[in-house]
Amino acid sequence: MTAPALLESRGLTVRFGGLLALNALDIDVRHGEVLGLIGPNGSGKTTFLNVISGVYSASAGSIRLDGADITTASAQHLSASGLARTFQRSRLCLPLSVFDNIVLGAQKRLNSGLWHNLIQRKALAAEVRAIAAEARELLYVFNPTLADKLYDPAISLGMIDRRRVEICRALIGKPKLVLLDEPSAGMTHDETDQVVDEILGIRKSLGGLTIIIVEHEMGLIERVTDRCVVLNYGKKICEGKFRDVASDPVVREAYLGQS
Amino acid sequence: MSALPSHKPARVWPLIVAVAFAAASLTTLVLIENQKLLGLTLAGIAALCFAAARFGGVAATEAAASENPWLLRGLVLIAAMAVLFVLRDDNFGLLMVATVLIYATVCIGLTIQMGYTGLTNFAAAAFVGTGGYTAAMLGQKGGLPDIVVLISGGLIAVFIGSLLILPVLRTRGHYAALTTLAFGVMFTVFLDANELLGGPQGLKIPGINLFGWDFSDDLHIAGYTFSFYVNYVILTGAVTALTMVLTGLLDRSWIGVWLDVVRLDETAASVFGLKVGRWKVLAFTLGNFLAGLMGAIYAKMTGFIAPSNFTFGDSLVMVSIVILGGIGNRWGVLPAALIVVLLPEKLQFIQEYRLLLYALVVIVILVVQPDGLVARRVRTLRMEARS
Amino acid sequence: MGTIGQHLLNGMMQGTIYGLVAMGFTIFFGVMNVIKFSHGDVLTVGAFAALVAVWATSALGMPVYVQFIAAFIAAMILTAVVGAGISHFLIMPLRNAPPLNMLLMTMMVGTLLREAIRLFFPNGTNPQRFPELLPAGGFSLGRSFFRFDALILIVAGVASIGVVYWIINRTKFGLAMRAVAEDVETARTMGINFARVIPLTFALGSLTAGFAGTIYGLYYSEINYGMGLLLAVIGFTAAIVGGLGNIWGAIIGGYLFAGLQTLVVAAMPSMSDYKNVFAFVLIIVLITWRPTGLLAERGSERV
Repeated sequence: MTAPALLESRGLTVRFGGLLALNALDIDVRHGEVLGLIGPNGSGKTTFLNVISGVYSASAGSIRLDGADITTASAQHLSASGLARTFQRSRLCLPLSVFDNIVLGAQKRLNSGLWHNLIQRKALAAEVRAIAAEARELLYVFNPTLADKLYDPAISLGMIDRRRVEICRALIGKPKLVLLDEPSAGMTHDETDQVVDEILGIRKSLGGLTIIIVEHEMGLIERVTDRCVVLNYGKKICEGKFRDVASDPVVREAYLGQS
Repeated sequence: MSALPSHKPARVWPLIVAVAFAAASLTTLVLIENQKLLGLTLAGIAALCFAAARFGGVAATEAAASENPWLLRGLVLIAAMAVLFVLRDDNFGLLMVATVLIYATVCIGLTIQMGYTGLTNFAAAAFVGTGGYTAAMLGQKGGLPDIVVLISGGLIAVFIGSLLILPVLRTRGHYAALTTLAFGVMFTVFLDANELLGGPQGLKIPGINLFGWDFSDDLHIAGYTFSFYVNYVILTGAVTALTMVLTGLLDRSWIGVWLDVVRLDETAASVFGLKVGRWKVLAFTLGNFLAGLMGAIYAKMTGFIAPSNFTFGDSLVMVSIVILGGIGNRWGVLPAALIVVLLPEKLQFIQEYRLLLYALVVIVILVVQPDGLVARRVRTLRMEARS
Repeated sequence: MGTIGQHLLNGMMQGTIYGLVAMGFTIFFGVMNVIKFSHGDVLTVGAFAALVAVWATSALGMPVYVQFIAAFIAAMILTAVVGAGISHFLIMPLRNAPPLNMLLMTMMVGTLLREAIRLFFPNGTNPQRFPELLPAGGFSLGRSFFRFDALILIVAGVASIGVVYWIINRTKFGLAMRAVAEDVETARTMGINFARVIPLTFALGSLTAGFAGTIYGLYYSEINYGMGLLLAVIGFTAAIVGGLGNIWGAIIGGYLFAGLQTLVVAAMPSMSDYKNVFAFVLIIVLITWRPTGLLAERGSERV
């Protein structure tokens, strides 16, 4: 029927003490789709991202990425196998330059050897120039003026530009799967629209990037996602196209909060 | 891409003036005996530095230095020779300069640990002491060439450090603080109790002899006599210079970025695939090696070490130097080390109160100017091809 | 000599003092995520305040029990004020700074207190004799001899641990404290006055240090300006072993550390100079084995 999923979780469960944050989740993410993850506050959306990116570990169940079991993989391993993410609260290193921040995303492609970094400075310089050009290009797609701020400290940027830099950091590593944790957080409606358009533009130019997006802003979800999964109390309560999901009575009840 | 740098002579002058100014200040501060005069000179130097910062002199110097690194290195070499010539028979002055250089190098190591990587190390003096005692014990046995003895000082410090960092790598949190703190406090307790290591009385150590170059002999060059301490200033100066160059390269490389990221956000670092533990180990190792190496040189230079040279208070003094110089600012370490080492020697009334004073200064800096006295610059990893 | 009883009593006494200090560390960490290294030196300040109080009351010819009470009250008031002051003027302004800055700050505050006592207390460089206020003598049980003063002090120490535990778990102030520890924002919306709870918490934590300092002086009959540093290192270790932020863990950690020390002294009397060194080595091994402490550390990171 369909090709095997890029990411599949089976019976994924996370417990914090007595709290069941994720309860036996089965979620499939198909190649090249944008999956929206929605649900009321505390329903486990961000926890799900944290488990698949290796920040938390699963209490039970399994996760597969491209067929390989990554349930117990370290964050480092996950990054190497093509996973990148942004964070709900901006996690840029503010005192560092935009370039230093973005370069972190390309870390696995760069030579971190002592000899290369301290002695072979010519080769290092060539590497730096190549990555700088890539970063500029990427930033340019988002915001042409941002490309000129490559060496400004991240702290000097506004909220929207910081978010753009975070997304660039996730994209420069050429990941298979990108996790976006509330890209609209801390931004106005117009800014959100802008960033969404940019994400869609980038996706088109990169061709078939797979994205999981956690979001409260339903307008955004409606515009960008191919499919949605609704969580409540750590359980999947509904799945499908946004329009169908939004009209589902179970989902409405969950959002109204009376259960 | 910005234009390639062109050679404008105007850009070189600030650098020459700055190096000459630094050398002149250093020599004057070392030579002055009168306490009032010293105060005035310090105030004058501070005023000049402030003015230079205010009117773009510092920026011009930095630009010139980053465009002509070899000119900077050459100028520093010439200035160093000039300082040595002026101070050639001032034993006390030369000893002080060498001590400042030793402190500065240890604190550059501490900058890599604390300033870059965010690893707390409250045992810098104990690592210096480890190197010193290693040199003393190996010296007593005899037979080993001094180059091996000095490097062993560094390696033993690295070894002890690697035992301490073990718990740090297993998890994140406050363990680095705990283990280094415990080591820093326990080091002197241990030495005091240990008869084999001389107990509270300490140990005597012969001077350095590197490949037949005997450091206890005066130098005679072109009819001038140089005190034997010049040997030590040359050695420590060379090590400091090499350390500065390598630390600069480290800072302006991928590794420099990774160390900063490890300090600023461990979670982001590991999510993007950095092996956080590996970089912590590298930083801890580099810093401890420098401390141990300098400790060995220090022991050989002074000819005598005792537990009281390496107390927890001394570790705090080194941390103060790092903060005074601006956390993570390796250039700032040099003047900071000079002030912290020199002032108590010159102003006797400060000696007794120095720890109190440093503590107060650090507290004020942390509240008023959290980045340290002279904030570290934002790294610009540009590296356009140079002609 | 009844050595076993002696060791037991000594260990209990030390454990009580360490537990009190560790409790302070864990309270500060729980509420503010702060490691307050100056805690040990606050204890020293308390011990010296107690000494001055004893001097003053005995100069006024007051009876011994008044001197005894005055010592505790003076120590606790001064340390509470110092603790609240440190939190208000030095720790609060830095609460959003990098953790390294905070560590350095409290480290330097400790140095400042330590050096101030050494330089400005009359004859402060030398150890000070602390008058013995408790009845001498004791009783024998089997081959062991139990000192009265030690028993009294242990009971007092354990009682004070109980009181602090009661304050944290059974009073309205304790509830506010725990709310702030859980989540500052939520505590605010619940109408808890953050700006008041924090200094009061630090006052409470520091006051236990003052109490411990007085016990220390009464038991060992000698105090010195540097005693707080080692106690801080030990107390901090105990708090970490117990899992930072966990009160019971801190107390257990304190007794565990004292137990290890006593074991070293009892098993190898010739090595007693190294008792702290040994205890630290064991603790570091223990931490390496169980990185989050014996009881779990409070999770502090939110992603």
